[in-house]
Amino acid sequence: MIRVLAALGAVLAIASAGAQTTLTFWPSSNPEEIMFATQIVEEWNAANPAVQIRMQPLPASRSTEEVLLAAIAARTTPDVAANIYPGAISQFVDARGLYEHDSLPDFMPFMTERSGEGVVGLYTHPSGHVFQIPWKANPVMFAYNVTLLAEAGIDPADLATYSGFLAAARTVHEHWGGAKHLYAPTVDVTWWQRFFDFYTLYIAASGGETLLAADGSVAFDGEAGQEVFEFLATLFREGLSPKGQTAQNRFFAGTALIEQAGPFTMPFYERNAPEGFEFALIPPPVPDRRAGEDVYTYGDPKNIAIFSNTRHPEASWDFIRFVLSPENDARFMRITGQIPYRLGMEEDPLFADILEARPNLQPFLRQNAFTRGVDDTPHLIEIFTAISREYEAAVVQGARTPEEGLRRAAQRARDIISGFY
Amino acid sequence: MSRADPGAARQMPAKRVGLWRSVRASNPVGYLFTLPYVIFFTIFTAYPLGFAFFLTVHDWNIVRTERPFVGARNYERLFSDELFWQALLNTGVFLAVHIPLQIVIALLLSVVLNQQIRARGFFRVAFFLPFVTSGAIISLVWLRLYADDGLLNAYLSLVGLGPVGWLSDPNVAMTSIAVMATWKNVGYYLMIFLAALQAIPDQLYEEAYLNGATAWQRFAHITFPLLNPAFILVVILSTIGGFSLFVEPFVMTGGGPLDSTLSLVLYLYQQAFQFLRMGYAAAIGVVLALMIFLVTVIQRRYLEREVGY
Repeated sequence: MIRVLAALGAVLAIASAGAQTTLTFWPSSNPEEIMFATQIVEEWNAANPAVQIRMQPLPASRSTEEVLLAAIAARTTPDVAANIYPGAISQFVDARGLYEHDSLPDFMPFMTERSGEGVVGLYTHPSGHVFQIPWKANPVMFAYNVTLLAEAGIDPADLATYSGFLAAARTVHEHWGGAKHLYAPTVDVTWWQRFFDFYTLYIAASGGETLLAADGSVAFDGEAGQEVFEFLATLFREGLSPKGQTAQNRFFAGTALIEQAGPFTMPFYERNAPEGFEFALIPPPVPDRRAGEDVYTYGDPKNIAIFSNTRHPEASWDFIRFVLSPENDARFMRITGQIPYRLGMEEDPLFADILEARPNLQPFLRQNAFTRGVDDTPHLIEIFTAISREYEAAVVQGARTPEEGLRRAAQRARDIISGFY
Repeated sequence: MSRADPGAARQMPAKRVGLWRSVRASNPVGYLFTLPYVIFFTIFTAYPLGFAFFLTVHDWNIVRTERPFVGARNYERLFSDELFWQALLNTGVFLAVHIPLQIVIALLLSVVLNQQIRARGFFRVAFFLPFVTSGAIISLVWLRLYADDGLLNAYLSLVGLGPVGWLSDPNVAMTSIAVMATWKNVGYYLMIFLAALQAIPDQLYEEAYLNGATAWQRFAHITFPLLNPAFILVVILSTIGGFSLFVEPFVMTGGGPLDSTLSLVLYLYQQAFQFLRMGYAAAIGVVLALMIFLVTVIQRRYLEREVGY
């Protein structure tokens, strides 16, 4: 009898184990996002014994994109990954690594209700399918040193246009005899560095355009691109921005009075800014012809996706809906200080206490309505590398004119797209 | 000291003719014992090498399953790509600074450390340590030394010299990297020279000394010629090492300023792992391997001397 019971028990145990689904979830590996992921996974697992989530932070590498691409090639992708950069989606789709999300139940209504109708056009792949779910954005703004700007007698409102910005840069240069700079953009040639100087300024100058036109042709060598190259080149040419590298953080050391910042830099500021350091946020400067208009900026969006080798797409989708629920969006903002891609947060009582506790998030939240991401092209890294080379030659080093540099970058981008390189 | 054995040379042709016969006559069990190495060689050397040649005539982005045949297009592109030629020139600049500097310093240090000096063991270890330290970490430390407001410029300003753009001036950056690479690697070549120095019999020096040779004459006529095999080894190893320059520019400059530190291997890496152009990267790799082979052959031909006393 005991044996029969034991056998029955074993059969039942095996059967119930068979009914349980386990999903793998890769969140980003920074401490705040791991904390968020740990909390939601614990909560989900407690409430859903039939679908258990195994959380594993994205393996360390130079970039999330490299890890995911390697995982797709090796067929070791998780069911769900967060923190995916939309610029890499085309490559993943090319490699047949992503699930067609639009075939999931209620996918479109869920996406538009959370993030607005605009996301459909923004995130539909040329094939007509959607391979990602918008998650969060990090609008890039400019943080300025309140104390030093006042000491130089500069009104922050003057920094809104190129002419005002250049005049302020000259004032800072004269005031401190060249020892301080208004703005010291990095001279690092790594491609993604251009997101935060050239590309942010380009989106602002063009009123929200990206590098490529809707038909996929190169568009960044127009008026806006030229204005940005000329503006930045003027800073370096007149010695208003330093050409050299530094071992220190110029913004905290007070040798640069302004720098790019996003919600993702706020925890860094909170931890590392010197005692009494006071900063405030403004949108990127724009050419004078755009003075007074709404200013667009780079949104640095990161999304969530289900991978094509999942055996449980619908269970994965249920989990994602849980991650993107209003309560968890609020929890995400509370823990990470980053901004979920959700409409109406300013009025939503769920977010009220967070915004009160983190007043620095308010400007980002307002800016969030005016952001742009990147083009959906498999050549993105190569195009940004081409821009970065010419940026260095024409803007930083002055080895050629800004017009010539921009023309060469655009030509290289056209060659890359046409398959010449 | 004689390197060539005339007897062995005479036997060579006879051996070649009988190779197949000797294979057939040998014990087949012996081949079983070589199997582990043969398998290892096939998987980790022969297959990747063959695949690299295969890739040079195909277009592949590593994740796509299709690999269209493109003939010689990758090679054609290579010869018309100005960045490839720039990278080749930069690698040449690096080699021109790095190899002579490395040899002179390693030789001088090895002669000094071969003497009975105090704390000799400490110095030998101290010079060898950078060689076994991670290149990425050394690059990060030197990045701080070389920064415009870094330690080197701080010392220069003490003696009233203006700041040098060690890594931001396109005319200086590659030389700065070559000096750093020399500092990192000199310990290894120092050990090679030291081992060769210790193999030179003392009686040669004694005899020369008794015959009235000066210290310089003993160095020029005994030490230097007898170091020739070590010298060749150092030149060849540092040439191969120099051609594969990657970590330092990758970490310190990303190839800038103005592409002046873009090395061939860094360019290969960018093409392969940033732009996913595996075929083109493989073509760069094959051309690079050919260049290293040619340079090595030329070096051996002109530097190798047979010396014996």
